Amino acid sequence: MILEAKNVYKTYGNKWNKQEVLKGIDLNVEKGEFTSIMGPSGSGKTTLLNVLSSIDRPSRGSIEIEGKALTKMKDKQLAEFRKRHLGFIFQEYHLLDTLTVKENILLPLSVKKVSKREANEKFHAVAEELGITDIQDKYPNEISGGQKQRTSAARAFVHEPGLIFADEPTGALDSKSASDLLNKLSRLNEKRKATILMVTHDAAAASYSGRVIFIKDGQIYSQLHKGTESRQDFYQAILKTQAVLGGVQHDD
Amino acid sequence: MTINGLIYRNFKKNLPHYALYIFALAFSAALYFAFVTLQYAPSLAEVKSSVKGLAALKVASVLLIVIVAVFLFYANHLFMKRRSKEIGLFQLVGMTKKEVFRILGTENFLLYYGSLFAGIFFGFAASKLLMMLLLRIIQVETKVSLYFSMKAFGQTLLVFTIIFILILLINSIFIKRQTILSLFRTVSSTEDRAGRISKAGLLLGIIGFVCIGAGYYISSELFNGDFVTVRALYTAMISILALVIFGTYLFYKTSVRFVFYLIRKKKGGYLNIRDVMSLSAIMFRIRSNAVLLTIITTVSALAIGLLSLSYITFYSAEETAHNMTAADFSFIKTNEAKQFTERLNENNIPYEKEEIEVVRVTADLSSLFDKKSKDLKFDSKAVPIAVVSDAAVKGMDVKPGQAVFSGYSDALARFLPMKSEGMIDLTGKRKTARLRTVALRKDQVLSNYFSGSMPVLVTDDVLFQALKKDTDPKIQLNSNLFTGINLKKDEDLDKANQLFQSLHFPSDSFAYSSPEIIKMQKENMGVMMFIVGFLGLTFLVTSGCILYFKQMEESEEEKPAYTILRKLGFTMQDLTTGIRIKQLYNFGIPLLLGLAHSYFAVKSGWFFFGSELWTPMLIVMGLYTLFYSVFALLSVEGFKKAIRDSL
Repeated sequence: MILEAKNVYKTYGNKWNKQEVLKGIDLNVEKGEFTSIMGPSGSGKTTLLNVLSSIDRPSRGSIEIEGKALTKMKDKQLAEFRKRHLGFIFQEYHLLDTLTVKENILLPLSVKKVSKREANEKFHAVAEELGITDIQDKYPNEISGGQKQRTSAARAFVHEPGLIFADEPTGALDSKSASDLLNKLSRLNEKRKATILMVTHDAAAASYSGRVIFIKDGQIYSQLHKGTESRQDFYQAILKTQAVLGGVQHDD
Repeated sequence: MTINGLIYRNFKKNLPHYALYIFALAFSAALYFAFVTLQYAPSLAEVKSSVKGLAALKVASVLLIVIVAVFLFYANHLFMKRRSKEIGLFQLVGMTKKEVFRILGTENFLLYYGSLFAGIFFGFAASKLLMMLLLRIIQVETKVSLYFSMKAFGQTLLVFTIIFILILLINSIFIKRQTILSLFRTVSSTEDRAGRISKAGLLLGIIGFVCIGAGYYISSELFNGDFVTVRALYTAMISILALVIFGTYLFYKTSVRFVFYLIRKKKGGYLNIRDVMSLSAIMFRIRSNAVLLTIITTVSALAIGLLSLSYITFYSAEETAHNMTAADFSFIKTNEAKQFTERLNENNIPYEKEEIEVVRVTADLSSLFDKKSKDLKFDSKAVPIAVVSDAAVKGMDVKPGQAVFSGYSDALARFLPMKSEGMIDLTGKRKTARLRTVALRKDQVLSNYFSGSMPVLVTDDVLFQALKKDTDPKIQLNSNLFTGINLKKDEDLDKANQLFQSLHFPSDSFAYSSPEIIKMQKENMGVMMFIVGFLGLTFLVTSGCILYFKQMEESEEEKPAYTILRKLGFTMQDLTTGIRIKQLYNFGIPLLLGLAHSYFAVKSGWFFFGSELWTPMLIVMGLYTLFYSVFALLSVEGFKKAIRDSL
């Protein structure tokens, strides 16, 4: 078990004006799993991801990653933990405009005492797999959205973190770039045994993962396992659950 | 909500952003008011008559207002840019441009006149302080009263109102020109985002270095005698200025970027967090800030240079006086010396008297000068110099056949470089003696009546007596006996000077009082130093503020990057370390360049102003750096806040 969340609550606002976003979520992720979290807008997906990934703190409940209790750590320790053990892919790419593609990708390695040669090897391995070797000296404003997201993915993988969080990674991509990225993610998942936890509202994106967790109104609603199904069948199953889930339908 | 309500809320919300702007505006208003008050102050009447201080004060106040105006326009420009989004939003919800203008105008009005009146109030309070300071520097003793000048008040108000109207005009043009869409975009459009270095850029970068180097080189050659005519000198000065300013501009535009690019390339893409926060961030911005940084550097260099020069003069007053008199009081007529010593005895002031006989001879000094005598403005084969005996000079013993030059000051060393050893020939009426000079001493032996601002030759007594018998009457002066009187206690100097003054020696008797000369010098230079000092301070405050504003604007723009980095797990400490390095570059590069510029400027001509270079210059530079660092520290605090707020 790489991630274990028990009874996680998150409320915003003050005593008089409280808004509960997460209402007691229990969640486990095994090592090497590719898990998606789905749910309608406002169901608390992104809040859940922020809380699980230590960017935000839960109001109540406990979260353990690789056996370490995040909820007991101080801010500085949390940052240190994120830096070393977690990888992130965001919807808005979150690349630094002032750095080249290569510099952006190598950034997480700078905190570990990795030699320049080793860093280069790691970069080439991951850049090869994501097909961004050609653009390594370009700046983010010179490349396309798909390339930006692959750069962002490479940055998440390069330091071989235990767990990778992806927040709507395909949200800003066209369908071709999106499927391209997801193919690459699932291949990296298999090849590197990397654990990925992805938040999405896109059924097609979710169908690339091995398990889908549905949340609604801050609680876990149901789960689907891909098992031996084909991606197409899994996609249909996800759509059905989404329909049952109600809320706002997404036709993308 | 009514527009008035909106204005009120906006004003309250934006107040913290404007804190430093308010400070700078109030500071400059205070300074201007104080300056103008000084011009009209009755207590300055005395100074006015003795010194041409009034004209200097007037020029200074004009300069001051020019700097302040430029600063205010620039600050206003930055604020408008920062708030362009807000302006766009107002228009988006259907406000007319006129209403938007009214909101901003009212807000500006409150801010501007609020600070202005606060400034005038402080200026009023400070004017007495300034006055006391000024009088203290120039050593005039008179009573100072707090004096509110309506004339000064009116003038300050008028000048600042004109600036305000201009600001409003600029703002109205800014609002009129913008469409809703473009307003939303202003923030990012000004920065230059591409990162590659072209061959032409590389070349320009090298040219930048070459220009600055050439400017420095010409400045060090400026007074070496290569530029003889006023016109050549003038052309050289102008070209130095042009070369250095242009070079500075290219330096910021390309050179810095080029150097950083090399460092970055060496890292092969493997940057740590400190590099990310400093190197790459600066590379992206320094180019678009080139004009601003050039102005700041030039202005700082100007301020430091002027401050150094005036302080050098002030600082060297005593040495300059000593070079002239060679004693506390010096005389060329024995009866006048006797009158003075009698007065000293009457008043029980202990003193020491020395009398030195002087012979003037014609000397062939050509072996001591490097240059051919053609380049010198005199004939080095026949120089009239003063000779004294080593027996008359305390603590000196010169061997037969040898001689020592005394009174070789720093300034003289600059103008007339001499070798310390060489063979010289002394010619009296008939005979010629050949001597070996063995040393150059700084000590002044004779007043400048005898020395004629040349070093004085000290020989052994036997030779001196021989020269005395063989004098050429054509080159002898009226007096051949120097009398120097040194007081045993420094605290008697004032009293002794009063006694000296009461004797009313005629000016053609060349009786010198060193305390009087020092006083005159300080009086003359004090006003200059005072004015230049405060102008320098204004330069410093305004350029510091502008850099600070610019940095705060950057911190706003870089906030998203901080969010990313913090999400990735970089701690606030990681980022802050990077920011410190970045600010070290951002403030340090203009400062270092400004210091270098001013160093070369001062070095090229300091000897016209005084006799001490290093101590006064380093004091000025140190103080400037200290005050300037305050702004860098403030900006680091600002960045820290942006980092804290980013997650």
